[in-house]
Amino acid sequence: MDKSFTERRRRELLVAACLTVAAALVPLFVKNPNVQNIMILTLMFGALSQSWNILSGYCGQISLGHALYFGLGAYTTTLLFTKFGVPPWFGMLAGGAISALIALALGYPCFRLGGHYFAIATIVIAEIGLLLIQNWEWAGAALGIEMPVRGDSWLKFQFARSKLPYFYFALALACVAWFVTWWLEDSKWGYWWRAVKDNPDAAQSLGVVVFDSKMGAAAVSAFLVAVGGSFYAMYVSYIDPGSVMGFQFSLLMALPAVLGGIGTLWGPLLGAAILIPLTELTRSYIGGSGRGVDLIVYGTLIVVIALARPEGLIGLFSRRKGASR
Amino acid sequence: MTITRRDVLLGAAATAALMPLAARAQTSEVVIGATYPLSGAGAQVGVDAQRAFETAVDIINNDQDFDLPLAKGLGLPGLGGAKIRLVYADTQGDPQKGRAEAERLITQEKVCAILGSYQSAVAVTISQICERYQTPFLSADNSSPSLHRRGLKYYFRASPHDEMFSAGMFDFLDAMKKKGAKAETLALFHEDTIFGTDSANAQTKLATERGYKIVADIKYRANSPSLSAEVQQLKAANADVLLPSSYTTDGILLVKTMAELGYKPNAIVAQAAGFSEKALYDAVGDKLEGAITRGSFSLDLAAKRPMVGKINDLFKAKSGKDLNDNTSRQFMAMIIMADAINRAKSTDGEKIRDALAATEMSGEQTIMPWKRVKFDEMGQNNDADPVLLQYVGGKFVTIFPSQAAVADAIWPMK
Amino acid sequence: MTAETIIQSLASGLLMGLLYGLIAVGLALIFGLMDVVNFAHGEFLMLAMYVTFFLFTFFAIDPLLSAPLAAAALFVLGAVVYLVIVRFAMRAKANVGMVQIFATFGLAIVMRGLAQLFFTADYRSVPNSWLGGKTVSVAGIFLPQPQLFGALVAIAAFGGLYLFINRTDFGRALEATREDPGAVALVGIDKNRVFALGWGLGAALVGLAGAIMASFFYIYPDVGASFALIAYVTVALGGFGSVFGAFAGGIVVGLVEATTALVLPPSLKSVGIYAVYLLVVFIRPRGLFGSM
Repeated sequence: MDKSFTERRRRELLVAACLTVAAALVPLFVKNPNVQNIMILTLMFGALSQSWNILSGYCGQISLGHALYFGLGAYTTTLLFTKFGVPPWFGMLAGGAISALIALALGYPCFRLGGHYFAIATIVIAEIGLLLIQNWEWAGAALGIEMPVRGDSWLKFQFARSKLPYFYFALALACVAWFVTWWLEDSKWGYWWRAVKDNPDAAQSLGVVVFDSKMGAAAVSAFLVAVGGSFYAMYVSYIDPGSVMGFQFSLLMALPAVLGGIGTLWGPLLGAAILIPLTELTRSYIGGSGRGVDLIVYGTLIVVIALARPEGLIGLFSRRKGASR
Repeated sequence: MTITRRDVLLGAAATAALMPLAARAQTSEVVIGATYPLSGAGAQVGVDAQRAFETAVDIINNDQDFDLPLAKGLGLPGLGGAKIRLVYADTQGDPQKGRAEAERLITQEKVCAILGSYQSAVAVTISQICERYQTPFLSADNSSPSLHRRGLKYYFRASPHDEMFSAGMFDFLDAMKKKGAKAETLALFHEDTIFGTDSANAQTKLATERGYKIVADIKYRANSPSLSAEVQQLKAANADVLLPSSYTTDGILLVKTMAELGYKPNAIVAQAAGFSEKALYDAVGDKLEGAITRGSFSLDLAAKRPMVGKINDLFKAKSGKDLNDNTSRQFMAMIIMADAINRAKSTDGEKIRDALAATEMSGEQTIMPWKRVKFDEMGQNNDADPVLLQYVGGKFVTIFPSQAAVADAIWPMK
Repeated sequence: MTAETIIQSLASGLLMGLLYGLIAVGLALIFGLMDVVNFAHGEFLMLAMYVTFFLFTFFAIDPLLSAPLAAAALFVLGAVVYLVIVRFAMRAKANVGMVQIFATFGLAIVMRGLAQLFFTADYRSVPNSWLGGKTVSVAGIFLPQPQLFGALVAIAAFGGLYLFINRTDFGRALEATREDPGAVALVGIDKNRVFALGWGLGAALVGLAGAIMASFFYIYPDVGASFALIAYVTVALGGFGSVFGAFAGGIVVGLVEATTALVLPPSLKSVGIYAVYLLVVFIRPRGLFGSM
């Protein structure tokens, strides 16, 4: 078993490397900015969902408040840049660190809560964060903050028309999130999480370890999501509370993982690869009617996928490969 | 060298392949994009905007006897009678989606200009993208004062912004005070969004400058399930004038809650938005007899300028509603943009931009109470004066400024 | 701040709180029955408001009278949603919880889209209902009649629900199915029938709430979103699955909301609700009245 396990993990790494190279080549052939935008968003939400999956999928703590960390990343980067001239690269790390610390501080009381109580606690904490920023004058309050756009610059991570730098950053972020997941799967944390998720009571006998592993998952997850938020702020170059910290982001992080396969290595990326283009294309091509048809199509697909593939779309692949987890 | 049949065929094929380009250069149609929320909370405004743009396009593309630019004759004469085609995009009120849609309209739908966008937050990102692609963006109905102060070359706004609107409101209050009306203390009631914040900031500044006392400044969460606590504070403050900056939903709830909690303000002077929407008056009009709102538009103008009434009829046939604060501005945005494209004689972004910058349209050539349309170096039209309208007997009557007024203000409200 | 202001705040908060309770109780009932959180609950409310609005517009039926009709319409909707969607979501072998959340979440989006398609995005309201805009004034304290009526309906509904669950055969079947769905099959109770009726009942309760709301609130396709989060917090605060908890949770939420606005800027008044929720669950992880 040990040997086949190691072999499977090696194969996963190989598949990931091939996919990365393939993805990296795509923009050389696809120049359409609209398609590139969809690819960037897909990679970004894939990475976000992968990060969400660490806490909610592997560790089983369903968070519907990850928009908090996304927003914290976006705001930290933007505020440091616009108020103090700190390049966004540092802002990203600072936002990640702040988010991880806040995740630990919040995790301390929240991880005692079970199931839906935990999920609702995460929603209301993110809402409190949103309301506080919305009323915080120095941080732009409701007016939001616009990034001054002054020509292309790697240091400031700003590019007027070219989408390639954003694309490769999003790709790198997706790779990092995937690799962290891959690596954690086989770490002692990975085993603890599965134990916590499958049987919290039995895992309790492991004592303090359970709590610590949840805290670890929360910190890693929050850090990566905040980096995603920083990226989003740089990419859109304007943020306001509702557009980076709204509840819809919490759902958008959870949806790809759920549709693709929650608690699986490939699920979030697969889910994002289907969901994000679908969202963008339905809005672009049928949203213009102003009659809500895009919502009907989008919602119906979510219902159908959730019902038809409860284990996630990844189930379509694993059966064939016989390597379902 | 002899020309073979194959060469001829190749040549024909090459010509055919180049045809679309050539055709585009001549332009039998001009594509203009409109970015609006077409689903979600702001959808009603976006859907109404579609009707307003269609009304304007009908007038431009067909032969109509109005004293509007381009009404007479077919299409755009400057481009050989080219017709305007509109492409809509749904922003869902989200800055990122607005940005993506603007980029798609420019690069894929090949629009030569964009109109938008209701929410000011979305206008920020759309105008950025337009700047990057050198495509003119004309704000039809965004009223955040910061929008035109960002040094963008391709940003234009023909209608007033919140500071101009608020100044109009305070000019009116000054005039009322001179006549002896009681208007010393003010209560601000505004939502916690860009619109509410900008409006309240402008009003606070003007109140301080002109010596009014703000006795309550209530910021509330947009779309709250209940406004009882907020209304109670308004009631306790009991200001001479209530200045609400609310959209339709909260406006309806505000007026209903005021009635339920027995608060009857002395006077209401609203920052339009919900207070210029038919839906609000359908719901609570009976409680708003004598309420005043600032507006960019007044149907009273039809008496002086008959085409206003006729255009209103055209719009009403499409939408079932009268032109209002938003739809009139959207209508004019399309006319102004088409006029600029016509004068540019081109669909090239830079040429349209220069033509827009050179716009000089007299007030009589619009359906608005504006002096004229002329953009300053930041792209803002400073000659668009707001009017104040009072809701009397089920319709709006213009009461200010005096040159546009058809009646005196009833003060205090009933 | 005068005593009158405080009393008025508490009175308004209490009335609103009872309504929050009525909106939330259907959610609590459905959750208690089968551990399902209906993420389309706000949209059920929206639909009930539209039903009331159209009954008023086309047949001049006052919201007071159409409340039972709205409840009946929502009963049918609830049962159909169970039979067509939730029944299948519950069959999922893997991560049932998430499948349910997203199946009902997808349904919520579809319902909003359908509402926009058929009812348009326009804001509607019932302009002249019997109670709309009327108010009772006692010693300077104003009690709006629609909310007063809503509070009475809420109390009656909770009383009725209590009797129904504890005193009728169907109620006992609900309780038994909830406790052990496998065993009830042995005694000849059709689990699906009980669940469908439970969903119908839960939806009917929010239908009742929607009819009352329609007499003083605006109506548009996204209106449910304003109430959905409050309903979830109300249910969780009271304790998932506890019908009485939803009742108590509603009152607490209403009172906290009103009093927060006395001390903080009103734009932050939901922060008070959220903070109280967190405080309660940190002390009692199963809410006020949740079973352990």
